[in-house]
Amino acid sequence: MAGTFLALTARAVRTNPKLPMQTAGMASYVRNLIGKREIVGYGFNGEPNYVDRTDFPLPAIRWREPTPDISALREKEKGDWNNLSLEEKKALYRASFCQTFAEFKAPTGEWKSVIGLSLVFMSGAFWLFYFMKAFVYSPLPITFDKEHREAQLRRMIDLQVNPVQGISSKWDYEKDDWKK
Amino acid sequence: MIRTTALRAQSIFRTALSASRTNAASSTRLMSSHSTETDDQFDARYENFFNRKDIDGWEIRRGVNELWGHDLVPEPKILIAALRACRRVNDFALAVRILEAIKDKCGSKVNEIYPYIMQEITPTLKELGVSTPEELGFDKPELALESVYNL
Repeated sequence: MAGTFLALTARAVRTNPKLPMQTAGMASYVRNLIGKREIVGYGFNGEPNYVDRTDFPLPAIRWREPTPDISALREKEKGDWNNLSLEEKKALYRASFCQTFAEFKAPTGEWKSVIGLSLVFMSGAFWLFYFMKAFVYSPLPITFDKEHREAQLRRMIDLQVNPVQGISSKWDYEKDDWKK
Repeated sequence: MIRTTALRAQSIFRTALSASRTNAASSTRLMSSHSTETDDQFDARYENFFNRKDIDGWEIRRGVNELWGHDLVPEPKILIAALRACRRVNDFALAVRILEAIKDKCGSKVNEIYPYIMQEITPTLKELGVSTPEELGFDKPELALESVYNL
């Protein structure tokens, strides 16, 4: 969507020859941006901008500047539309609008690159962790081995740590073993 | 205490009893922001809007963009009026764009609503010489987006 957005920002001009100086400056600024494109509607914030959107199907300006070809076609358009060939009809459409609905609603496939890049960065983080583990961090303290941890657990039970819902509530002090 | 309870009860019963009576004045005042327009009036309003003799391209675009803001698929008669308005202002592209937009507006019910609408408006399309997006090949993506540096 952002790619199709031709940001043409300035105040809307419905041409009035007796504009005050500042407004006239704004108007020529708009003209600078949109060139000779015809202003045909009310755009966002009243500004003549073009964007293909399903919820705002008719943008404020025509997509192409009028070339001699397009002007000739638009003259022919004033007659019976049954006399227009298919190519002329398509050319008329393309003069007014950038993309058809089918085109700007077509999936971009961007989700694939998003998922792919996410996985690349996640695996990168894994390898970084592994590198740090192997080469940077010192070994774990001795208190992490099984013997020390069992001693720590025994100490907690002896101190009756968390006797209501926690570890000591599951210890049977009379049988000196876990509750069955 | 009893007196308070009795008064409360009385007021509750009074509300319950009078609820059956409609109070036109208060209902309109309380719902002043709510639209009382019926669907028929809504359709007629837009149909008349597009049927205006002096309508220009600006007004057609405004009307369609506004209509597209509603949670509905416009009736075929509104679309016919809009297409005829496009004919009056000699804007072929606008007519095709409206047809494309109506297909999009059908949303997930496109297989049910869109054929019905096309069936209703086909005589008008034939009369005006408007090709459907399908005839123009616009139902499938046709061209890739041109780079903005080549415009």
